[in-house]
Amino acid sequence: MIYLHESQNAPPKYPAQPPAVEPGGPNGSEPLSEPAIGPSQASARGLDWFVFFLADVQTGFGPFVAVYLTTQKWTQVEIGLVLSVSGLVALLGQMPGGAIVDWARSERMVATVAVALIGVSAAAYAAWPIFPAILLAAILHAGSSCVLGPAIAAISLGLVGRAGIGHRLGRNARFASLGSGIAAAAMGTVGYLWSSRAVFLVTVVLALPTLLALWHIRAAEIDPEYAHGSLHAKSRPPRSSSLAMLARNRPLLLFSSVLLLFHLANAAMLPLVGSFMTAKSSTWAPALIGACMVVPQIVVAAISPWVGTRSHIWGRRPLLLIGIAALVLRGLLFAFVHDPRLLVAVQIFDGVAASIFSVLVPLIVADVTFGTGHFNLAQGIVGTAVGIGASVSTVLAGYLTDQFGRSTAFTSLAFIAILALAVVWFAMPETRPPEAEVHEI
Amino acid sequence: MRIQTVWIAFAIPVVFLAVPRLVLAADTPAAVQPIAPKAPASSTQTKPKMPPMAPSVTVMDAAGASGILGRAVKGADGKNMGRIVDVIVDTSGKVRAAVIDFGGFLGVGSRKIAVDWNALHFSGAVKRGDDVRLELTRDQIKAAPEYKEGKPLVVIGASGDLRSLGISTPAPAK
Repeated sequence: MIYLHESQNAPPKYPAQPPAVEPGGPNGSEPLSEPAIGPSQASARGLDWFVFFLADVQTGFGPFVAVYLTTQKWTQVEIGLVLSVSGLVALLGQMPGGAIVDWARSERMVATVAVALIGVSAAAYAAWPIFPAILLAAILHAGSSCVLGPAIAAISLGLVGRAGIGHRLGRNARFASLGSGIAAAAMGTVGYLWSSRAVFLVTVVLALPTLLALWHIRAAEIDPEYAHGSLHAKSRPPRSSSLAMLARNRPLLLFSSVLLLFHLANAAMLPLVGSFMTAKSSTWAPALIGACMVVPQIVVAAISPWVGTRSHIWGRRPLLLIGIAALVLRGLLFAFVHDPRLLVAVQIFDGVAASIFSVLVPLIVADVTFGTGHFNLAQGIVGTAVGIGASVSTVLAGYLTDQFGRSTAFTSLAFIAILALAVVWFAMPETRPPEAEVHEI
Repeated sequence: MRIQTVWIAFAIPVVFLAVPRLVLAADTPAAVQPIAPKAPASSTQTKPKMPPMAPSVTVMDAAGASGILGRAVKGADGKNMGRIVDVIVDTSGKVRAAVIDFGGFLGVGSRKIAVDWNALHFSGAVKRGDDVRLELTRDQIKAAPEYKEGKPLVVIGASGDLRSLGISTPAPAK
């Protein structure tokens, strides 16, 4: 229950402090006329906890929804329908979601509305487990989530600018994974001790500290030009048709295809290994599956800031290759390792890949759309690719497992990951900006 | 969904039974009751053809019967086995098996497994919050193939084991 403790402490902490410029910040000594570059500590901490609590809130809407609706006497057909509809909305909403964030002048406002809607939707899950209400709530949640992903990256970029963004994204990944790890443990306990419904009440309650943290990010410090990936007003390029322009952006399209392949290989691995564990070791399966979910979170929390720093020093390509190679290895190990405890250890590779991708996805998108003003729409494009890959993944893996067995299924997934590796190796350019470009602004 | 289902359940008999009744009203014995079309939907349901057939009514004590969808199932060793998500009937309408969503953690890694209806005991299940009991342990059903609609059904019973199906499983714990 660390988050309760923190949320109680957080409010008095901020007003008491002057708007101190973060000492370790990249351009910490700059005067207040350039507030976007050196965010105050209140804003930096606000973003930390916003990311943390939002991950908590989102955990409540995970695979657990199906369990809850089952306890409410829902049939599998109805549950499947709700999950498919919300999956479709989450997929189709990516680009409009990004466009909304690009269009809005206040990312904070957009995020506030989205978090509030998610809170309402969690309340609806708890209060009215009837079909029309849940369908509406699921659509509401999926739509709001489409806005929040780009909004977090936009707020980050708007706060720290291009020079500090790698470090900032590493920090985001750390807090997000701490949030979802702790939330999964807490919600598992709540669900076990009280009821499945209580999980959604906890989710509603968690929306409050999420908003509180969001409001501690000072709106004035979010530079709207950075947040949209534009140059400053005087040098802004003429806005041509946005989608057409992004559609000609070769690195962006290459990166989208890499992400599609990556998630096509990645998304089905945990459910597949969980189902294998249930079949293999009945007594320990829940604990082992829980461990499979927590181990990557710990790894992400531990190494993400380091990944953020490395992305500036090594560049993006080497990290991208490491991340995909970790997925290849994981697929192969899942195919041939049978001891459930070793399988948990293999999840370390999941943590490595997840950490690298959660830092690099917004980072590379920011790289390749710099100066266009369509950073968030581009995030939506990339998000669509991720969604397609992930949703096809489970279907494909389920089919392969039924037809050819577990080893073949995992080997095939590993092969798809090798394809992603090949695309990066042979086609994907390094997108790290030259030093001069970062500082010229 | 439940509310909608109820509406549909009422709407269908009203639409489909009330209209032919109005047409037939002139020459059927039922027509001697001119107020009949205004009768509640539930009563019109039973008499479109055979006039005097009283529906049978059974009143069951709420403490003696209960729905079982979504109910938790406990194994022979008292351990949690999962929840009932579906019930399987054969062509004669006889209940053959229950589908249990078994294992997993927070919804990840669970498997749907069909268990023999006769291996389930509902004596404790009627009381609210109590569980259905299954005469099997986790170890006995864990290796069973997953239930998939449209595929041949593998139902796990209380006696015998899975070896006859070519599935290796340890001998029952007893």
